[in-house]
Amino acid sequence: MAALAPVQVSPLIKFGRWSALLLGFMWGSHRYSTLKASETAWRVEEAERKIVKDAHKATEKTRLNREELLYLADQAGVKVPPNF
Amino acid sequence: MAKALTGLAAKAPGLIKGVVDYSTPKLNTFWHYARVELTPPTPADIPKITQGLNSLVKSARTGKWKEVPVKEAWLNTLITAEIAFWFFVGECIGKGTIVGYQV
Repeated sequence: MAALAPVQVSPLIKFGRWSALLLGFMWGSHRYSTLKASETAWRVEEAERKIVKDAHKATEKTRLNREELLYLADQAGVKVPPNF
Repeated sequence: MAKALTGLAAKAPGLIKGVVDYSTPKLNTFWHYARVELTPPTPADIPKITQGLNSLVKSARTGKWKEVPVKEAWLNTLITAEIAFWFFVGECIGKGTIVGYQV
């Protein structure tokens, strides 16, 4: 293929392309920062809620464990020690 | 490992020269076209840009756009689509990833 001459692109098209690129860049970075801010806020709240939830789950687990052992002891005829 | 590294260090100047020799003509052709086609518009082009925009607006207003040949209309559609795609390229650069926002 013989060397083609470079195309003289219309300035309107060049302006459109570059301004679309810049606008897209600005939009992308703005939306990223917005989403990141709301996500970090949600993560902070979720960390606080997690502490409460984990404590609640731990107490529930020990309670259910104790009740299961009491039931098994009742079924197996094992005497339950006092203060269990 | 040490032998591989010394071998590479011995061959490195030759490798670099090979890369440079291969890429220089290609970079030259790229630069030859990019300097004319890809450069951003200069302030000297502003009158031509406003002229182009005015002709677009006038064609929309007077109804001349209905008389454009289909081939030209198709070309205009493709060019508009390309300009729209550059927006998304810019968005990908701005957000830092190609797919999705890594929040």
